[in-house]
Amino acid sequence: MDREGSLTAVEHCQTESEERPAPSLNILTGQTTITVALAGQPNVGKSTVFNLLTKLNQHVGNWPGKTIEQKMGTYRQNGLTIHIVDLPGTYSLTANSLEEVIARDYIIKERPDVVVAVVDAAILERSLYLVAELLPLPAPVIVGLNMMDVAEREGRHVELEVLQAALGVPVVPMVATKAQGVRELAETIDRLVHGDIPYQPRCPQIRDDHRAVLDEILALVGPHVPAPYPTDWVALKLLEGDEEITAMMRGVLSDAVWEQVHDILMAHDDALVAVASGRYDWIGRMIRAAVVRPQVGQIGLTERLDCWATHPVWGMGLLAGILALVFWLTYTIGAPLQDALDTYVVGALADWAGALLASGPEWASGLVVDGIIGGVGTVITFLPILVIFFAALGLLEDIGYMARAAYVMDRFMHLMGLHGKSFLPLFLGFGCNVPAIVGSRVIESRRARLLTIMVAPLVPCTGRMMVIAFLTPVFFGRAATLVSWGLIALNLVVLALSGIVINRIAFRGERAAFIMELPLYHIPNWRTIGLLVWQRSLDFLRKAGTVILVISVIVWALSALPAGDVETSYLAQFGRLLAPLGALMGMSWRMMVALLTSFVAKENSVATLGILYGTGEEEATLAAILGAALTPAAALAFLIVQMLFIPCVATVAAIWQETHSARWTLFNLAFLLVVSFGTGIVVYQGARLLGWGI
Amino acid sequence: MLERLLSLVGQGGVHSYADLARQLDVSEELLDQMLQDLARMGYLRPVADGCEAHCAGCPLSETCTIGGPTRVWTLTSRKPTPQIERSSRTGNGVRPVA
Repeated sequence: MDREGSLTAVEHCQTESEERPAPSLNILTGQTTITVALAGQPNVGKSTVFNLLTKLNQHVGNWPGKTIEQKMGTYRQNGLTIHIVDLPGTYSLTANSLEEVIARDYIIKERPDVVVAVVDAAILERSLYLVAELLPLPAPVIVGLNMMDVAEREGRHVELEVLQAALGVPVVPMVATKAQGVRELAETIDRLVHGDIPYQPRCPQIRDDHRAVLDEILALVGPHVPAPYPTDWVALKLLEGDEEITAMMRGVLSDAVWEQVHDILMAHDDALVAVASGRYDWIGRMIRAAVVRPQVGQIGLTERLDCWATHPVWGMGLLAGILALVFWLTYTIGAPLQDALDTYVVGALADWAGALLASGPEWASGLVVDGIIGGVGTVITFLPILVIFFAALGLLEDIGYMARAAYVMDRFMHLMGLHGKSFLPLFLGFGCNVPAIVGSRVIESRRARLLTIMVAPLVPCTGRMMVIAFLTPVFFGRAATLVSWGLIALNLVVLALSGIVINRIAFRGERAAFIMELPLYHIPNWRTIGLLVWQRSLDFLRKAGTVILVISVIVWALSALPAGDVETSYLAQFGRLLAPLGALMGMSWRMMVALLTSFVAKENSVATLGILYGTGEEEATLAAILGAALTPAAALAFLIVQMLFIPCVATVAAIWQETHSARWTLFNLAFLLVVSFGTGIVVYQGARLLGWGI
Repeated sequence: MLERLLSLVGQGGVHSYADLARQLDVSEELLDQMLQDLARMGYLRPVADGCEAHCAGCPLSETCTIGGPTRVWTLTSRKPTPQIERSSRTGNGVRPVA
């Protein structure tokens, strides 16, 4: 094969501002055979193009010395024999993988007469990076713009003439799956090698300051670059820190020259960014010039909605509104259902069990009616509230809103001075505090990590939210939505204040940066939401049948022993030790004990209240009894302490595991006790002054 | 482009893909590719691939609604050297890569 005339015209790439007559290739100088390499990313239809061009004239082997498959084939066009070599699918030519090394080595060492870059028109941005790397190589490039049908279907219109002019190389539209455009591709190859098409590639550019560095390296290594490597390309790859080329040049350069090159490279270790940046600039220009993408449908809708949903002010307002709506819905629909469940199912069950066990020993009826039904039964009446709450959250997640909530919350946290790096783990804490503690690993500094762990239990997890969702309407009836909303707002304020302290102490006011992908809004999938609610409900029932059951029995036993009277029980004796502290918040010893049992699982608070206020045997529901037993000021203090109280045992275990320190774990518990009781006392005393303590 | 992206993100705070893409006048797909490239180069670090990264040990991890499939990146301590002011973004003052 004679390649005398090949490639002289592509030894240079021109800038986009250069106005020169377009040169033509005239590769054929008496040749009857040419080689065409097919390059492209995986899954862009390269193999389909290969099969369509070569039909049955193909054979498969391995790349020399490699285990990667090599496909070759032949076809004839206008008396010319064209050998096609299918290069391995690659995203770039940066020697990240064996495939990339094979592809670029083939083009450099074997010098095919033409390289056809098969690109996916539907994801042109991603495909063009490879083209940006192919253009400076010593082989003329034709772009096979495949999957035009998919692009059009997705509302992306590629203006071929414009793209062709912008790239300066031939572009052939194709739909390989329908065999469209393959004949045109073969014709274009033929016309290009005959010099019938102008070829004037416009390559990516590099900033002048880095160009000067590149020139310096070029001057040093130029005379030593082994054939057939293009010197410009080798200098560029050195600047990019390409390991293979660096090793090759290290082998051929004298120590003195290498040291000079090495010093330059060390002084410009960010040149990699500059080189890649040049390629992205180039891709950006190509896309802006040639791709028309009407902002309609899902993307347009997302953009319009996000004007509000991610706005620094309206976004927060919307989030607060949505939160209030979720609580309102939960209470409006859930509370009557919960009430009915309490009266007609749990109450009836207690009556029935009481009657059944009336003839048996007193302790058996006490255990079943007061202990198990009073505790677990009360918790199970949660279920309707829980289902509605999780359905609402699941819906928000599924339509894509939760990511926006995270985004606006993060902005808010930044405004409050909370460091972004501690925000992310804290945000995870809204689901459950355990991932918040474990997630704090993203923070490198131990000091900052420790402080983040210390405040993570202040994030209102779903367990606490459930207790709030249950107890707030019990205490506050119609004002429940407002009170719940206020409780969460107060919780966030405490969190933000803690964040300010963390930021000042641990991060010294430095700001971290985050980039978040916000998914497109879409129509909710009811099956996904249903599954989510089902799994969570199951998880909740499992917990009610295990942890809450055990704790209910223990609490009942301690409240019944030794004499069978709550007032003289062990629990009462213990609870009265806490009574002086409770008195500061208007809480009885029963409320204090209920708070303490939430340490095992948050829902236990409700179970304990159920046992200690004896819903099993009374006619009135727990809601009625509690409503009568507590003043609004004490109820508010109880809810606030519940929100800010020490976390459940799983979270404490996570704190211990992550801090590797019993001292820090104990400190954290002490800190939370002070914060929760401190806030509770302040709120109770404040509310009393306002006249709510009656 | 990458330098500008790094300098936008380097100002701190939280950025959405849409915000950055608008400021750089590129599509979100290209932005995502750039972010992945910057992560390969050591300038960015993925901090959360949805919930999987941090939820081992959480009893609710299977059904977690918080976190979701969102991708989140953060800056590493690696910083590019300051960019020399360019006269325009369309090619003046710059020359071909090769």
